[in-house]
Amino acid sequence: MILLPLNIITTTLIGASLAGVACSLIGVFVVRMKLSSLGFCMSHAAFAGAALGLTLSFNPLLMAMIFSLTSALLLGPVAEKAKLHPDVILGVMFSLMLALGLIFLSLAPGTAMTSSALGILWGSVLGIGKMDLLQLGVFTGITLGLIVLFSKEFQAIMFSRKLAEASGINTKPFFYVILFLTGITIALTLKLIGGLLVFALVVNPASSVYQFFYDIKKIILISPLVGVGYCMLGILISLLFDFPVGSSIAIVSSICFGASVVLSPKRKRG
Amino acid sequence: MLRNFLSTPFIKLEDVSTIYEGEKIPAIRDINLTVHQGEMVAIIGPNGAGKTTLLETINGLLPCTAGKVEVLGKDVKKYGSYIRRKTGYVPQEITFAELTPFLVEDVILMGRFGKIGLFKSPTRSDYEKVREVMKLLEIQDLAKKPIGKLSGGQVQKVMIARALAKEPQILLLDEPFSNLDLNALSDISRKISYLHTELNLTTLMVIHNVASIPPSCDRVILINQGRIVEDKLSRKMLNLKHLKRLYRLNL
Repeated sequence: MILLPLNIITTTLIGASLAGVACSLIGVFVVRMKLSSLGFCMSHAAFAGAALGLTLSFNPLLMAMIFSLTSALLLGPVAEKAKLHPDVILGVMFSLMLALGLIFLSLAPGTAMTSSALGILWGSVLGIGKMDLLQLGVFTGITLGLIVLFSKEFQAIMFSRKLAEASGINTKPFFYVILFLTGITIALTLKLIGGLLVFALVVNPASSVYQFFYDIKKIILISPLVGVGYCMLGILISLLFDFPVGSSIAIVSSICFGASVVLSPKRKRG
Repeated sequence: MLRNFLSTPFIKLEDVSTIYEGEKIPAIRDINLTVHQGEMVAIIGPNGAGKTTLLETINGLLPCTAGKVEVLGKDVKKYGSYIRRKTGYVPQEITFAELTPFLVEDVILMGRFGKIGLFKSPTRSDYEKVREVMKLLEIQDLAKKPIGKLSGGQVQKVMIARALAKEPQILLLDEPFSNLDLNALSDISRKISYLHTELNLTTLMVIHNVASIPPSCDRVILINQGRIVEDKLSRKMLNLKHLKRLYRLNL
């Protein structure tokens, strides 16, 4: 078991809670709107961007955001019109972004696999600083605010984009807001969870909650709490067994998702 | 018929063609159509004739590539969202996965979201309207049910209720009777006729089965290969000759 100073543990727990809230909220949209392939590509683009940032000694977070949002802007219209099968997008972009990320890391000055480089790959308990916390806090607040402010538009789009459009809602800006929020959330949580696994925290909590409720409002309310729970459990396991934090969160959330599928009342007869 | 001369057309299409992205041949072409307030118009034609395209060109879900579409006196290209807030639309054969996380009452309320507008929450009167349309369609007992758990006929009624919840001036129905058993078909047909005759709701409906055209229908339009081949037919005038011509049947 790793023993860490209290202030680092506090910072990590607050950071993980914020990451859990932001990622799970975004996850409700990503899962319902079948944007997983796109989000998965965005998380790997963020990883490639952060790796390039390390190589160029330029702000990795900013580079992660630029890469993630650029991939969203390029792939958004493709996903929007479903002109390419999600598996094709996933197959091409995932390997491309991972390959780019690994090349950038190999070009990084000094020893290639420094702790910060490994951090963006696997996530690190020590990866979060006060500034990261502030950024994540502000962004989680913005995400929550937008979801509350446009809750009816987002609900209608999640139900059916075509029907939302038919009821007089201009859905395009909201669709791109969802992609934008996904891109930024992924970039901001990269240090904690790691580029390879951040998407587990986006998809797994929301997917677990979807197994229990038919009311989307309840799913939006409960998913962030479940996301925080998964993060806390993941961090505990990470500290107990000295596992990378991202891997621990991914494993915990995947096991819990599996359990929720088995226990889901929606899948029981009678 | 006199009312048609007196009133401004609710729907007016002038030389309208619509081509899908990536296609070369228009799905509908050179369409000229005028529908007046309170009219009920049935559009019939074989599969792929362009019936759905015509409906979605009228409410602007599909932008026309040539010609001009005016609904409620406004150009659909410029005022698409405005027009869709005043037009109820029930798409063809809509189905939902069993686990879809939306309750019937919420689905119907969503029909009003465009009308309510940005930065505003639904008020008591919005919920009252939802209850009113559920009562009209006799689906009050479905309010708290998940949409994915309903039968085809129930889903169709919910979708009509959703379209009516916004208090539309025009109702566009795409094959409202498909996949329904006889009971559900006659029930929904009666409801649609009631909306037209009692509420004077301008209604355009795509119908696949000629026998299910409601008796209150004012006019039948035949469409084939993207063109209107017959307009201004009454339900009674529709005969074997028309059907032979339309479906190329050897009857």
